[in-house]
Amino acid sequence: MNRRVALRWACAHCALLASLPGRSLAEVGENWAAPPRFAPPDPASDEGGLWSMLEHEEKRLRRSLLLLRDPGLHDYLQNVACKLGGEHCPDIRIYPIRTPWFNASMAPNGSMQVWSGLLLRVDNEAQLAAVLGHEMGHYMQRHTLARLKDVRSRSAFATLLMPLGLGGALVSWAVMASQFSFSRDQEREADQIGLILMKRAGYDPREAPQVWSNLLEEASVHPGANLSKISPMFATHPASAERRETLTRLAGTGGGEAFQAEYLTHVGPLQRDLLEDEIKRGEFDESIVLLNRLTKRSPERPDLLYYRAEARRLRGQKDDVELALADLNAASAMPEAPAEAQRSIGFIQQARGDKAAAREAFTKYLQARPDAGDATMIQSYLQELGS
Amino acid sequence: MRRIWVALFAILVAGCAAMAKVESGQQVVSDRLVVDLDGPWNRFTRGVEVPTWTVEGFTVDRLQFFVGIQDGQPIAQRAKGAKEQRPLTFHTSMKAHEIVALFEGLYTQDGSTFTLDRVEPVTFVGEAGFKYSYTLIRRGDDVKLSGVGYGAVHGGELFVINYSAPRLGFFPRYQQQIEKMALGAHLNA
Repeated sequence: MNRRVALRWACAHCALLASLPGRSLAEVGENWAAPPRFAPPDPASDEGGLWSMLEHEEKRLRRSLLLLRDPGLHDYLQNVACKLGGEHCPDIRIYPIRTPWFNASMAPNGSMQVWSGLLLRVDNEAQLAAVLGHEMGHYMQRHTLARLKDVRSRSAFATLLMPLGLGGALVSWAVMASQFSFSRDQEREADQIGLILMKRAGYDPREAPQVWSNLLEEASVHPGANLSKISPMFATHPASAERRETLTRLAGTGGGEAFQAEYLTHVGPLQRDLLEDEIKRGEFDESIVLLNRLTKRSPERPDLLYYRAEARRLRGQKDDVELALADLNAASAMPEAPAEAQRSIGFIQQARGDKAAAREAFTKYLQARPDAGDATMIQSYLQELGS
Repeated sequence: MRRIWVALFAILVAGCAAMAKVESGQQVVSDRLVVDLDGPWNRFTRGVEVPTWTVEGFTVDRLQFFVGIQDGQPIAQRAKGAKEQRPLTFHTSMKAHEIVALFEGLYTQDGSTFTLDRVEPVTFVGEAGFKYSYTLIRRGDDVKLSGVGYGAVHGGELFVINYSAPRLGFFPRYQQQIEKMALGAHLNA
């Protein structure tokens, strides 16, 4: 059965999907028990049709050029998921995707995407576990399947698959928000289950509301904006300060650990690439909020100062250039400063007409990166600047 | 009834993808930029904001001409709904790296991943210009493209030729032809 036929066929049977097993809200509490592993559906059944489409999307995901093919990272994420998922571990497959927005989504067949923007934004393993645990809450309660019963058209059904597959996920936030955001009850349920899974796995549940605090802080640079159009996470997971407060209340006095060192050991080596992608996103206001937080956490890291400077230099508002220059000079004085900090100083001084300072900075950059892809261009700038 | 729908669909498709053949030899783009072609191309006559040619098809390879962009003008309109802050506006005072950044911003509006491989000085349309090479992972279909652009500022106006095609097969096939055409390009008197 090809995909188009499968979609048509599945939609024709949407109403029947209403009978798929679900679990009621009343069951969620401290004594909540995870359901047993879900048996693969009969390929001839309604659910089997959906599975075949999800498997098709998962194959695409495995071949995707955007898949982060780092075995260490993959094993680490899979291990965190397994700590949370317990008996469901063998059914969970994690796919870290190079996309600089905060998002994670789990398909009913157990495949889970974790976008690199999320990896950049969580501070520790407990915050990562909060997001993965929340998605597993949706999975274990079969919320995505339950949503299918409301789907009436084939195009809407295909849209439902977008956050679970790869294509189109970036361009359809608004559609996703209007048609397929989880209900308040489902969100509350997934939040509660996520917290329970975190606690049982030894994580500090107080890190869960911190995830939303950080996201809402970034979103605050767009006052009055529709959050679902800002972030794919907000599109399918409506966020509010009230929700954060509820999570804080449910987390109680905490217990467990944040496991920050473990997180930074596994994700830290990727951060340079993640920051590069973050700047290229072109959302400088949001990036500056994020980098303010990261530099506060790790003031000794010159790369964070460099990328904050880049966000400011490229935004170029008010005092941005002065502040960028201060960060670049501070970064350059630190051990293991990125050579690109000197290039940025050169760009700023060149624009200001300070030829001597620009010459000095460009020269330092070329000494450190003689084979850089832009080395001959920078050399031409040096020639223009004269001696 | 079915025939009517088929006819309407054909008209719609024809309207969206109207093309005209561009013959080999000397051609003038936007009345300003003169290029010498080794072979024929196809030119989009509607549905594109920037003059765009292709050999293999719109979703495969694209040759775009940015001709006479003036100070304070965008190189192209931002995609509807785009909210990112990277400017697309050209200023005469811009250096090569800043102009290349405009094109990076243009080609990543849909979430595609852009990696700048090289920027180097070249002579283009008789001016001290630049050449940039890049790799793009196209978001919509996860295809890896190679791209190359040649640009320069002449009389305060920006002129850029940009070509991109799938990295395997198509780009290498046309790379030399593009290079020869770009380096031989000149402006009408």
